[in-house]
Amino acid sequence: MTDTDATLSDALGRISTAPDVDTLRSIEREFVGKDGVVASMLAAIPTLPPADRKGAGQSANQLKQAVLTALAEREVALGNAALDAERKGDGFDASLPPPRLERGTLHPVVQVTRELEDLFTSMGYMVLDGPEVELDEYNFEKLNIPADHPARDTQDTFYCNAPGSKATLLLRTHTSPVQVRAMEHLQPPFRAVVPGKVFRQETTDASHEHTFHQMEGIVIDRNVSVGHLIGAMKTLLRGIFKKDIEVRLRPGYFPFVEPGFELDARCPFCEKGCSVCKQSTWIELLPCGLVHPNVLKAGGLDPEEWGGFAFGLGLSRLVMLRYGIDDVRHLLGGDLRFLEQF
Amino acid sequence: MLVSFRWLARHVDLEGITPEQLGNDLTLSTCEVEGIEPFAPHLSNVTVGHVLERVPHPDADKLGVCQVDVGSGEPLQIVCGAPNVGAGQRVAVATIGTVLPGDFKIKKSKIRGVESHGMICSVRELDLGDEHDGIWVLPEPDGEPLALGQSIANALGMGDWVIEIDNKSLTHRPDLWGHRGLAREVAAIYERPLKPIDLTLPDLGGAPAFPVSVADAACSRYIGLGIDGVQNGKSPSWMRQLLLAVGQRPIDLFVDLSNFVMLDLGQPNHAFDRTALDGGGIAVRKAKAGETITTLDGELRKLETSDLLITSGDAPVALAGIMGGEESKIQGGTSKLLLECAAFDAATVRRTSSRLALRTDSSARFEKSLDPTLPEKAAAHFARLLKEIQPGVSFPMILSDEGRWSDPATTIHVRGDVVRRDLGVDLSDEAIADILRRLELTPTAKDGGFEVAIPSARATKDLTMERDLVEEVGRIHRYGSVPEAPLVGAVMPPPFDRRRAMVRAIEDRLAGAARFHQLLSYSFQSDDLLSKVNADSGDFVTARNPVAPELSKIRREVLPSVLGALETARRRRSEVLVFEVGKGYRPEEASEDGMPREVHQVVIAIARSKAAKGDAGFNGGAFFTLRAVVDDVVRAAGVAVPCWSPGGEAHATLHPVKQVIGEWTADGQSAGVIGELDPAVRGRLGLVGELDSDVAVAVLDLDAMLAAPAAPRTYTPLPKFPSVKVDVACVAPAELPASALTKAIEDAGKGSVADIELFDVFKGESLGAGKKSLAYHVVLQSANKTLTDSDAAKFLGRLERTLEAVGAALRR
Ligand SMILES: [Zn+2]
Repeated sequence: MTDTDATLSDALGRISTAPDVDTLRSIEREFVGKDGVVASMLAAIPTLPPADRKGAGQSANQLKQAVLTALAEREVALGNAALDAERKGDGFDASLPPPRLERGTLHPVVQVTRELEDLFTSMGYMVLDGPEVELDEYNFEKLNIPADHPARDTQDTFYCNAPGSKATLLLRTHTSPVQVRAMEHLQPPFRAVVPGKVFRQETTDASHEHTFHQMEGIVIDRNVSVGHLIGAMKTLLRGIFKKDIEVRLRPGYFPFVEPGFELDARCPFCEKGCSVCKQSTWIELLPCGLVHPNVLKAGGLDPEEWGGFAFGLGLSRLVMLRYGIDDVRHLLGGDLRFLEQF
Repeated sequence: MLVSFRWLARHVDLEGITPEQLGNDLTLSTCEVEGIEPFAPHLSNVTVGHVLERVPHPDADKLGVCQVDVGSGEPLQIVCGAPNVGAGQRVAVATIGTVLPGDFKIKKSKIRGVESHGMICSVRELDLGDEHDGIWVLPEPDGEPLALGQSIANALGMGDWVIEIDNKSLTHRPDLWGHRGLAREVAAIYERPLKPIDLTLPDLGGAPAFPVSVADAACSRYIGLGIDGVQNGKSPSWMRQLLLAVGQRPIDLFVDLSNFVMLDLGQPNHAFDRTALDGGGIAVRKAKAGETITTLDGELRKLETSDLLITSGDAPVALAGIMGGEESKIQGGTSKLLLECAAFDAATVRRTSSRLALRTDSSARFEKSLDPTLPEKAAAHFARLLKEIQPGVSFPMILSDEGRWSDPATTIHVRGDVVRRDLGVDLSDEAIADILRRLELTPTAKDGGFEVAIPSARATKDLTMERDLVEEVGRIHRYGSVPEAPLVGAVMPPPFDRRRAMVRAIEDRLAGAARFHQLLSYSFQSDDLLSKVNADSGDFVTARNPVAPELSKIRREVLPSVLGALETARRRRSEVLVFEVGKGYRPEEASEDGMPREVHQVVIAIARSKAAKGDAGFNGGAFFTLRAVVDDVVRAAGVAVPCWSPGGEAHATLHPVKQVIGEWTADGQSAGVIGELDPAVRGRLGLVGELDSDVAVAVLDLDAMLAAPAAPRTYTPLPKFPSVKVDVACVAPAELPASALTKAIEDAGKGSVADIELFDVFKGESLGAGKKSLAYHVVLQSANKTLTDSDAAKFLGRLERTLEAVGAALRR
């Protein structure tokens, strides 16, 4: 065995048992580094007899190549072993609960309102706003509900005082006053929806609230018929429930429309009756009708030329239907345990 | 309103129509049917029995032991305490297992040692009246004893259905407040004739009319019919049954007949004991100031001069159209009546009845504007029914008929084209005319349409214009037959709505990246909450009839609502992040027409437990977090970030020092305010002690934001040259605001300062008393060259001077 063979066998032995890459680097330095074994073998060549020089050079280079190859192989093997070890995933428990990701929420009434606004704006409706503290004139008089009209009883109105104001103020009982305000400000034809808060003086319980949200809709155009109203309402319900809904229109009395209707939708939650539809398979969803000629006049429009329809959607009710909320008072109650669910 | 199926059948043939079908058809054509129930279903389970014998109970004097044959072979032994039970009677027997009203289930029992297998019922036990002084001895309607074993309902023909109609859906239909009117609708729906009814007065005698004077236009007609030879007693059983079906308890003939006529024709009426009336007659007038009346219900009512009275000898005997007086109540044995059937002004009745909170069957009808031709018909109906029951009665006097009224019957012109246009249905003129005729509206061809005669019953309020007739045609034709049509028109996208876009951007930013929960609150704020948060001064719009006395104020600002929610939420969690977009009302800034100014606000609040959060560092507290959130939100809304400067007591809810006011320009509208809560407010909200909280709130004015300079997102080219970062520490008097140092740094940079970031605030003895040190990372950047160390050195040199100018120094 030559010296070179012994050196090689020493190097290969140590490489094969090197525990980590750092050890490999130090073996590399020792044998093939600047001042390593191979370097000193090469440096010694000029001192050899000329005949041996070529052979010595070759064996030094062979040694170098063999060491480098072994180093590279060992490094790959060490890397693979490390990956294998990591892949064992010692003690990792994927079933531990993740940390809580705090998030914010939009109010469910706002979410449903936006959805409807988007649906209506895509059909050319404007979104209008109106005052919550209203004049009696707009909430009643101009909507064909004069003083002493029995329909005022059913409205349970909050009448208001305001220091220094002689006007008859009230909290609007519906979003309908905006019908007339819109006629006064807009050039017909137009289509508009009005989401907003409305108020009724009544005792509250799980299904009654003195403050809730509605969305009024109004279309003013020439030659608008009950057929158009039905078409628009079906489109609306398709937008809300994402499927075709059977509807029925029946007489309903609202002084500001004539004829006036209650639109019932086939209960989307059952086939044979459930608690939502009170076993009737119909849910009363949308009061609507053709705008009363007196209301058109109050809005400055000529009922011979212009007509239209109006409808009122109970936003609070729709939110409750959609999420199965059993107590209307949660909506404005400000309880974060309720709000964070949406 | 309750309607009896059998009662309706007195007026129109209902053969082949089920109650359900009728209910459904009424709902689709006329009014909302809320429910259909069988009348007194227990009557189907109570059996006709025959008392075979009654012997005294061996151990109880007052009880009897009866053997009762119920047609099932073996007679039943029943112990009965009624004094009037006796052998030979036909009685109502509730056998074991029967459930009587009040959820009373009959069980086999032993009474004082004697077995009893059922109960012999009284009228009251069957919920058919108030009599309970003995058992009900069944009548013999056909003069024959009733067959045994059949149900009472069957035997006496008491099977009926009760249809409940939503009164709201009858608001506009005075004609539907009686069975006859409703039957007219039913006749039109099913195209069946209305059964004839004689509503002409019977022969009247020639004695002078009972004196009636009408001194007020609110009574347009007053009819007084004199009746002699009448005897009060029980009303006939057919009448009692119909009354019971619609929830009226039979009282006596006078009351029952009066109610029957009202529920049949819709005309309220009142029978007076004529002998108790003053000989001077009846006078109808308005109440005098301070006058009172004790109504039939025993209540003393204080009257106002707008209330209409029926008086006798100038003493009030009835509140017109609402309720009779206690003193005019018929006592026992009179044989002389005066029947009042009148027409009263709807608004007058409505005002009085709503002021007195006295709603009666009568007032509910009058306030709908009744047909003034109806009183005479109702008087005739009353007279004819009474004559049938007591053939001996007579009507000795000329009819009193006072007041100034006119027949409202009218005509309305209707065009076929308008009906077709409004309904969107292709109906021929003939089909339209046919529907109108079914409703007893008489069309005559005229001017390319119809002149339609409207009878008085429909003309008081309901049918006044062409559109009303469109509805009549539509509802009988059925809206279900109207084909759906697409709305045709130029669909233009609605004009851009900046306010709404802005609100959405703000909401999205807060609920999204900033992790806030959105609240919607009531517009009422309680007195207690307002005083807790120092927000009870200023003028409020108030509700005159609030749900609770302390909840009358309509909010001026949204902040107290949010704080109210914060208070409760903080009890449940260590960090609360909430916001609300809402409106407030300012009466002191009312518009010309008296509307209070409406302010639109965004209120954002942070409350964090101090214990849980520990030391938040120099700018990690709720106040500074909120400042960052607000600037981000304003930017998201497309508006320039306002300049926030210490405001000093701008908002009483906030800490007097720890608050800033935002403005876009020096003289601009205030953008809003951000601040910590005043410590006293925080204490009153309970956010101290165990709930000790770091609370900051922001109030932003949406109108101001809309008016503010827009700052749409823009692109800035990326720098071409590397920047230089310099760290500087500035020593300043403790009271010098940081903004002065920021400005000094900017000034020293001469436009080259690209970013300033505060990274440390230090106060210590090493600086000397009353001093602080603020350390900043400053990034210098030039658009046209690479800055070098010498540029940085020049900057520091200038900074020494600009700091010196504000009383600070550069710390080397
Ligand atoms: Zn259902």
